[in-house]
Amino acid sequence: MIPANGFALTHFQAFLLFAAVISIAFGFLGRRRPKDRIKYILWSFFLFLVVGIGIAWAMYPFSR
Amino acid sequence: MSDEVIQQTPQVMPAQPPTAGVKRERFAWAVGIAAWLLPGLGHALLRMWGRAVVVFLSVGLLVVAGASMRGTVFSSNGGDAFDTLGYVADLGTGSFYLAARALERDGADVSHADGDYGTRFLATAGVLNLLAALHAYEAARGRKA
Repeated sequence: MIPANGFALTHFQAFLLFAAVISIAFGFLGRRRPKDRIKYILWSFFLFLVVGIGIAWAMYPFSR
Repeated sequence: MSDEVIQQTPQVMPAQPPTAGVKRERFAWAVGIAAWLLPGLGHALLRMWGRAVVVFLSVGLLVVAGASMRGTVFSSNGGDAFDTLGYVADLGTGSFYLAARALERDGADVSHADGDYGTRFLATAGVLNLLAALHAYEAARGRKA
């Protein structure tokens, strides 16, 4: 079912998976109309990306 | 002056008989607990099918991904406060906590980044399910949701 050593995702793939799942869940829980949900999901996903990549770049000088 | 105060005092009239309110509160608690035990069940009981499916799949996907990445599934005999906090977060997935333990037969491996991400996925699944359970509870109480 699951390989003994688990499955591997890159940092960015894990980040995308996390952002997508949480955005969809928040969109469905937080909004009622389909159009509002789609707008919320896209906006939330976009903000996840912007904030995540922004923090990554801000931390870059301290990474080595 | 005292007449004005008396006139301005709002008249609080119960909108429903007390028994109806008690029943509704009990139903809301049952919905909340059901939502915690099986992700999505609370919303399904309220016939919010879209939300039920999304909560089930979201929490399920995070648990399967977290366990597959060999994240830590915390147990009750943790050594410190962070382990206890992780245990509480993992327990938030309800019955999926047992599924995570069953899926992760080879134990956690946080020596690689994947295992660390998996630990976060599992904790996030629990917190997300607790949020969904609270949402279902509030909806069952009649709050706009």
